[in-house]
Amino acid sequence: MSGFTRHRKSGAAVTTFTAFEADLLRSLAAQLIELLRNESATEQIASDELEDMLDFTGPTREPEDPVLARLFPTAYPEDEEASAEFRRYTESDLRNGKAAGAAMIIDTLEEAGLPAEPEDGLFIDVELDQATAITWMRSFTDMRLAIATRLGIEEGDEDFWYALPDDDPRAQVHDIYDWVGYLQETLVHALAS
Amino acid sequence: MSAPSPVELDEPVTDDITQLSTPWVTIVWNDPVNLMSYVTFVFQQYFGYARNKAEKLMLEVHHDGRSVVSTGSREEMERDVQAMHEYGLWATMQKADTP
Repeated sequence: MSGFTRHRKSGAAVTTFTAFEADLLRSLAAQLIELLRNESATEQIASDELEDMLDFTGPTREPEDPVLARLFPTAYPEDEEASAEFRRYTESDLRNGKAAGAAMIIDTLEEAGLPAEPEDGLFIDVELDQATAITWMRSFTDMRLAIATRLGIEEGDEDFWYALPDDDPRAQVHDIYDWVGYLQETLVHALAS
Repeated sequence: MSAPSPVELDEPVTDDITQLSTPWVTIVWNDPVNLMSYVTFVFQQYFGYARNKAEKLMLEVHHDGRSVVSTGSREEMERDVQAMHEYGLWATMQKADTP
């Protein structure tokens, strides 16, 4: 496992993934895209309000899925109406932007030579310019937020996760969460250095 | 340089002025997921803050649970909140004088 480093000449963020790692990252990105398409942003949850039913411009209610609710937080905690307006004008764009970011990860990995069914022993070199690196960083954040919400990760609960037996599926998912965090950390440093 | 010539102004209506000039703030809240290095990077990258200021705000989020990261008109703050959501930070907005 290796993280990102800064290429001395080009300033690009570079790393080498094993086939397994690249495939895992592609799978996380694909799951994120699927999640963002679920519970469609324009869907109106059963409403009798004529105004709501006639409004197709965007969602006004917080998503029911807790992951989506975390990815698209309520902007005005004290003002339901203003929050609904904000959501109507921003959530669809935010969803599309996050899905496009995850798609960029998949494209970069496949352009770097990741086949549909990679074999062991294959290595994938990636090189990210600043703009692409920032897109990757944002998408890493979305993946980590999704995993953390599903697992129920809370502030300062590391001991709980590290004490789980290795064969507990939650321990395996938490390892992936940590790994994406490691990629994120090294990518930030590669860009900021 | 010359002094500006005096301009005659209508007596301001205090209520309207107060309403217009009450600034709004963008607040970023702590979450157990986002890395300190990433949050600092976002504050530098998006707001253009110097590293010291970005780190100070990040530490406020981390230790106090929240930090006011920008101040301005309601429209400006809506843009900032949307941008923070793009970066995956948990951001909300309110009037500056709200406790």
